[in-house]
Amino acid sequence: MVAWTLQRVTGLLLLFYLFLHIHTISKLSQGPAAFNEAMATFHSPLFKLLEIALLGTVVLHALNGIRITLVDLGVGVQKQRQLFWIVTVGVGVLVFLAGAIPMFIFAVLKV
Amino acid sequence: MELNITLRVARHPAPQGQAFSEFRVTLEDRMTVLDALFQAHRKRDGSLGFRCSCRVGMCGTCAVYVNRIPRLACSTLVKNLKSEIVTVEPLPHYPIIKDVAVSLAPFFDQWRRVRPAFRPKKGDMPGLALIRKDSKFRQLAPTKRDCITCGACYAACSFTGMNAQYLGPAAINKAFLRVLDPRDGDGEERTKILDDSLNGVWRCHTQFNCTAVCPRGIDLTDSIVRIKRALLRPGRLFKA
Repeated sequence: MVAWTLQRVTGLLLLFYLFLHIHTISKLSQGPAAFNEAMATFHSPLFKLLEIALLGTVVLHALNGIRITLVDLGVGVQKQRQLFWIVTVGVGVLVFLAGAIPMFIFAVLKV
Repeated sequence: MELNITLRVARHPAPQGQAFSEFRVTLEDRMTVLDALFQAHRKRDGSLGFRCSCRVGMCGTCAVYVNRIPRLACSTLVKNLKSEIVTVEPLPHYPIIKDVAVSLAPFFDQWRRVRPAFRPKKGDMPGLALIRKDSKFRQLAPTKRDCITCGACYAACSFTGMNAQYLGPAAINKAFLRVLDPRDGDGEERTKILDDSLNGVWRCHTQFNCTAVCPRGIDLTDSIVRIKRALLRPGRLFKA
């Protein structure tokens, strides 16, 4: 239930991010000034924190998606619960921290 | 020293507008939720409505929602719930008859739809059917046929709640037993029902709630996954 709910919540968040991303990139068609202005909003520490949150969302959704794909292929169905907690959450947290810590230090604290 | 728990039982229709009746129940040794219900029924309120039959986890009659998880009341030890308050509600996704007793009609409607009865391919055979020891049927069937039709899996699945026409885990698992059986002759009809894009196996999103609550320990999601894969490779699991 936790895994299923998490996949849907992260999926919706990523959908929202996708629209935001496409909207920002589309500014390229309006020339370099417009694009640079749009990108400037993403330099603030708040947005850097949101980027860290995005990393977490992507990692969870991707690793859980791999688990679901494996289950659909009939691999690891009996061990799916362990797959979720050890791989999706365990490995996910490690990958997240590997990215989030440097991002936090260099982009948010601006050391 | 007497230990007590609070037993909250959903009422339907609600007497005096109270959706739940509360009882202080004295904890007895190895007390099950069913024991607690009986204590409340005998000592406090004889109008409490709940179902039971065998009391030993064999018949599936006493399936109820205990602290929001479908369980057999007779097989759930109160102390294992590790909770001061035990809330018993009717299984979700079923029409309520009285208090925590529900009608299993939605469950059996889907059960019937998969043609659960065995129909042999050939009529009367002169000899015994040979089932090889290394066949999928011989290996998998013992792990799938213990279903006591308690209805817990159907209650646990989010998708039966959203779509009353979805087959549900138990019906699909029953169908899987027939699909595996090389002697069965109903493969073609059954395949069409299982393969239905709106209400067949494709409505399963591998939530695994069914497997988590099955009191017989049947891996229901596994049955559904196997059928999905077999449907994508016609002729692999059975011959029409």
